[in-house]
Amino acid sequence: MLSIIVFLPLIGVVLIAMLSKERESAARLIATAVAAVDLILASLLAVNFDVTGGMQFIEKFDWVSGVGIQYYLGVDGISLPMVFLSALLTLVAVVASWKIEVKPKAYFAMILLLEVGMNGVFMALDFVLFYVFWELVLVPMYFLIGTWGGPRREYAAMKFFLYTLFGSVFMLVGIIALYLQAGTFDIVALTDAGLSPTFQWWVFGAFFLGFAVKVPVFPLHTWLPDAHVEAPTAASVLLAGVLLKMGTYGFIRISLPILPDAAAQWSPFLAALAAISIVYGAAVAFAQTDMKKLVAYSSVSHMGFVMLGIAAGTAEGITGAVAVMFSHGVVTGMLFLLVGMVYERTHTRVIEDVRGLSSQVPVAAGLMAFASIASLGLPGLSGFVGEFLSLVGAWRSDMWPGWVIIAAVGVLLAAAYMLWLVQRVVLGSPSHAVAEIEDLEPREIAVLLPLVALTLGVGIYWDLLLRYVDPAVRGLTALMGA
Amino acid sequence: MGYVLAIPLLPAAAFAVLAPLSRRLRNGAIAVSVGAVALSFLLSIVAFVATLPGGHEAEAAYHAFVPFAHVGDAVLGAGLLLDPISASMLLVVTLVSLCVQVYSIGYMHRDERIGWYYAVLSLFTAAMLTLVLSDNFLQLYAAWEVMGLCSYLLIGFWHEQEAPRKASLKAFLTTRVGDIGFAIGLLVMFNTAGTFDFATVLHGMEWAPQTATAIALLFLFGAMGKSAQFPLHVWLPDAMAGPTPASALIHAATMVAAGVYLVARALPIFEASGVALTVTLIVGSVTALAAGLLASVQHDIKKVLAYSTISQLGYMFVALGAGGLVAGMFHLVTHAFFKSLLFLGAGVIIHAAHTQDMREMGGLGKHLKVTTVTFTIGSLALAGVFPFSGFWSKDEILTVLLHEGHYVALAISLLAAFVTAYYVARLWFRVFIGPQQTSDLHEAHNEMLIPMGVLAAVTVVVGFASPAFAHFLGHEGEWPALGMALGSSAVAASGLLLGWFMYGRRTKVINTRAIKQRVDYVYGALVNKLYLDLTYEYFIVRPYQRHAAWLGRFDSNVIDGVVNGAGRSWRALAAVGWRFDASVVDGAVNGLGQLVKSAGGRVRRLQVGRVQTYQGLVVGVLVALMLWIVVKGV
Repeated sequence: MLSIIVFLPLIGVVLIAMLSKERESAARLIATAVAAVDLILASLLAVNFDVTGGMQFIEKFDWVSGVGIQYYLGVDGISLPMVFLSALLTLVAVVASWKIEVKPKAYFAMILLLEVGMNGVFMALDFVLFYVFWELVLVPMYFLIGTWGGPRREYAAMKFFLYTLFGSVFMLVGIIALYLQAGTFDIVALTDAGLSPTFQWWVFGAFFLGFAVKVPVFPLHTWLPDAHVEAPTAASVLLAGVLLKMGTYGFIRISLPILPDAAAQWSPFLAALAAISIVYGAAVAFAQTDMKKLVAYSSVSHMGFVMLGIAAGTAEGITGAVAVMFSHGVVTGMLFLLVGMVYERTHTRVIEDVRGLSSQVPVAAGLMAFASIASLGLPGLSGFVGEFLSLVGAWRSDMWPGWVIIAAVGVLLAAAYMLWLVQRVVLGSPSHAVAEIEDLEPREIAVLLPLVALTLGVGIYWDLLLRYVDPAVRGLTALMGA
Repeated sequence: MGYVLAIPLLPAAAFAVLAPLSRRLRNGAIAVSVGAVALSFLLSIVAFVATLPGGHEAEAAYHAFVPFAHVGDAVLGAGLLLDPISASMLLVVTLVSLCVQVYSIGYMHRDERIGWYYAVLSLFTAAMLTLVLSDNFLQLYAAWEVMGLCSYLLIGFWHEQEAPRKASLKAFLTTRVGDIGFAIGLLVMFNTAGTFDFATVLHGMEWAPQTATAIALLFLFGAMGKSAQFPLHVWLPDAMAGPTPASALIHAATMVAAGVYLVARALPIFEASGVALTVTLIVGSVTALAAGLLASVQHDIKKVLAYSTISQLGYMFVALGAGGLVAGMFHLVTHAFFKSLLFLGAGVIIHAAHTQDMREMGGLGKHLKVTTVTFTIGSLALAGVFPFSGFWSKDEILTVLLHEGHYVALAISLLAAFVTAYYVARLWFRVFIGPQQTSDLHEAHNEMLIPMGVLAAVTVVVGFASPAFAHFLGHEGEWPALGMALGSSAVAASGLLLGWFMYGRRTKVINTRAIKQRVDYVYGALVNKLYLDLTYEYFIVRPYQRHAAWLGRFDSNVIDGVVNGAGRSWRALAAVGWRFDASVVDGAVNGLGQLVKSAGGRVRRLQVGRVQTYQGLVVGVLVALMLWIVVKGV
């Protein structure tokens, strides 16, 4: 089942590659069909998932037997929401890109290839496999930004690629160190390897660099705004929606359970970086004049809440972290889609030039206001769930309460930059650039509606998400306590 | 008792129906909203009656709980708690909401987005009803925030103009400053109690005084934002930029009272603290007097009412700070009715006079008969004149202060009562008496007058329920002592008299300008809203904007500069390395020469960024690693 989910998009890539030049418009149909089937399979996974069952749907056999490299896939309540998210956002990204005209074959092939890597990362339980998927993700994203991006696409793509590669080299060092010490690449088995605290401290540091760049944590975040501004809409959706989560997922899947002693030691440092990321990201977002950059910096701020929950290391904190990861994927996905849809019509992302959407395009404006309100963490919408829980978890942990208070102030700052955006872009009387544009077409609304539904669903009935996350996190904290 | 669930769900459903419709359909469907709240009102009466016999504060007539989240050891959920406090709030909220919605049919009928207006009113009503029915503080907080959103949407309803846009943002952010306190209070509460449930945190545990103080003060901070208490009150006068009936509902009767409700609910924690009660008393007294003074110098009729609301909410905090739960809640109830009545009347006046400036009004009394009568009833209630409702509740508060020995607060409250009567008279005489300044005055239509009549009737009679209300909440109910009643009446009368003396007489005996000049600095401070707005603007808002802009530059120049610098240096190094590699190493390997590629091409390829090169590097490292492992492992 898991292998099918991971590699099905690869079949799509092959099919698309076989299309002749004249029939290249069929690429989007193939991509849509493959992504849809993959989403259905991921949903089936969720339906058949036993919430108390720990790691499930395991596929495990020797790959390179001499050194103990395994082909080892499995999902638990932490990875399952991520798999679902990446399958959902891939479909969303594909349908949102139907109108792409430049090299559609390559474009859709890249998105599908990206899905292989993303799902693989969230399912891999062997370090070598994990690393292969991790690096695989870089390539299609590099091309998506570098080929279909904006004016500075080559710079942005290269920066994205090199920066994350720089991080993952350290991760590789960590993997090798773990292997040399414990003699296995098995991520599950390594959780009771009994590693010495000093050794853990160093390995944690190596993994930290790998993951923190990806998240991104202040001050390693500057690749993100550039990548987002240049990336095509669909790539932004997947970058913010899924790729950033690979970093925090790494912390939760690897750093916390395998290196629990080091996690406790590093916790004050992580807490400080988290709080700084929250406030810093919010302040810099407030200063932006480009809508996409604003949303990009808001991601730095939101991912800070994930890091806060991880630094807390308590059940509430980690559950909150996973909930923010999920919600941020959905909500920021919406925001990037909407900014993209507005850009396609007005050909500008400069906040000053776009004004009065609500009078001219009420549907787009309404959805943008909705997404903004979800992003600022209004209770009843999904953003609140995780941010509140990571604050609860952080307060319950040993961390300095000042960081929690700073983070709570970040919630206020989020309202400031988000509502100020709404005030300038959505409200008012239409500006010149907005005066003639058309409202969303049914396809675009169809892309956004599932995200709206999830935002509402998780926000009102938290267990929709937490029923998967909470038992898994309890297992995790039990491991860390032991 | 399952019907209690329908009370908040009906308006919520109305919102869910209206919100997704197109503008045209929505405008035609506002009956859905009015119908829903009317049904809610009827059900609220049923619920209220059900709580009547043997009603007691801690005893719930009905309690239901649905879990929505399992986290760690905690079960979080949505609950409905129907007890005397929530039952009385249900009546207040649904009745005022119904009156406002009926009134708005007339008031808003020409607005092209009336459907959206009704949708938001419905959502607001649902949230407020959810708040008062909450059985835990998390749900209360959630509803509290949703109300804040509705308030934001309604203040900025006419967003094509700049003032409402600015006011809505200011309102949301200022109240959210308070909400940060509330939220951190929740964290402290959960950390100690492991739950947010009233049953446990209010009645089921002993709070250490320090923890109780922390939670109570943090909650109070949240309440100060929502209920516009000094110094977080600055958003409410600006919020008057929204439609007047929305102001009546949200910024007079219900949402702004939510802070009072929060403190009233959390009163056991405040009492466990002690200190927090004193702070509440101080905040309330300062606000009651300061806002009363501020109301006395406003010329905009809605702003007078806004400051008056702030001042009256201050009264409620005073009552709670003195431990007077019944007095505080009763003043909340009476104020909700008479203040929404005043706002609805102000709406008629503004429509008729085509201005909000009282200096441009006058002589309206002859033409707007119904409005004049109802507005007068509301004014007298606000001034605390017997037998109107405000008299009773204000008297209860003063009595509590006397009994508890809070003499300073009592003196301030009496002074505030005097000021209140004065600005009421000032407003009334300026609007209804004197030379008529506008021609073509029309009384409003019936759909606007009837709700005002209903609220006026309630304002006349509800005061007499004073002892019954106390009994209903499980306390001893008493009629006010004659001495206190006479004393407070004398204070009110002298305030009214002063107002009449200055604004009511045809021949001006008092030169107000001369007085203003005599107390120039006091008057100046009041007109400038005690310089609070300026202070916030110069010491918080602008510095934040400046620093954010500076951080933005710092981010792209310094932090990203380091990254780019590292990239550039590395590229320079790499270019040297590749040149060496290409010319010397490669050259040696491919001795035949035909495969030698120009070094320049290589370098350019790197600079353009051939990702395969890097990917190749990684794969190479991996392969080498595996080889090494295989060799070592075997």
